[in-house]
Amino acid sequence: MDRIENLLNRPKAYYNVDGVGELGIGFMCLSFALLGWLQVSSPEHSVWNGMIPFIIFIGLVTSIIHYGSKAIKNRITYPRTGFVEYRKRDTLWLPMILGFAVSAAVSAGVAIGIKKRWSLTTPASLVGLFFAATYAYGIARTVRWKWAVAGVMALGSIAIAMLPADAVGAVANHSWITRIAPARLYGAFWLNMALYGALTLISGGVSLCLYLRHTQAPAQESQ
Amino acid sequence: MNRQIKTISELDRVIHEPGRLMLVALLSAVEKSDFLYLQHETGMNKGTLSSHLSRLEEAGYVQVSKTYRGKVPQTLLCLTATGRNAFGQYRRKLKEAL
Repeated sequence: MDRIENLLNRPKAYYNVDGVGELGIGFMCLSFALLGWLQVSSPEHSVWNGMIPFIIFIGLVTSIIHYGSKAIKNRITYPRTGFVEYRKRDTLWLPMILGFAVSAAVSAGVAIGIKKRWSLTTPASLVGLFFAATYAYGIARTVRWKWAVAGVMALGSIAIAMLPADAVGAVANHSWITRIAPARLYGAFWLNMALYGALTLISGGVSLCLYLRHTQAPAQESQ
Repeated sequence: MNRQIKTISELDRVIHEPGRLMLVALLSAVEKSDFLYLQHETGMNKGTLSSHLSRLEEAGYVQVSKTYRGKVPQTLLCLTATGRNAFGQYRRKLKEAL
């Protein structure tokens, strides 16, 4: 029975066989880290803090991820190791509902914490551990060497939690955002996001290189 | 007859063959896939894979369609509703038997 379960999970793991899943996640996290840095580095009413530029930014990032992934799949993956069309309800609804629930819970927790003036720096830093756990569950289970990436993520988030408060808050120290949330809290979130994005992007890039090295398209008679 | 043995004897023989079981399990997790993907995942050669797929097609479990991806011929495969039901039943019976 376990072997059948394993077979049922293989198509899901196949999506990231070329590292495209990780490249997308890494690119998205680094884009948000860049946007976050631009937002706190510029004045409160600058273009980076407006709603319309934010929506345009999100549209641009998601388009790059969507069409970029599609291009890699069509030109590299499908001709080499085959085409798969996923069942819609498996790929869309569950992650969307889970993502919405988790982000709503985290936002509510942070809002309550800020209002009640709790010290949220350590929990914020440990968000990185949550990122590492999701990476380990979603990606590292299928490829052994990626456990090292999950380990580095976990160690990195612990290191961020142990950094001096001034160093963590440096990214937002003289920003308008300190009127809403402590610089240390913002800094911890930002550092974790940047670390997770960078590591995932590197891991995805290595996967793509290994995939290109170890696979080649068969002769074009039939697929 | 022992109930467990009876359940084992009722297992769908088309699906129970290891090669075909692999194919049905892989296809049940996707909407459709091509021949190359199944070959890559199962490690079967073209002849063996074709023969298993023909058997599944005969049983009405798999639908085969020929198309083109650019200029390259492509064989797309998907599990039919009958195939999904049969696989669901097979898993239930196997669980009971174990």
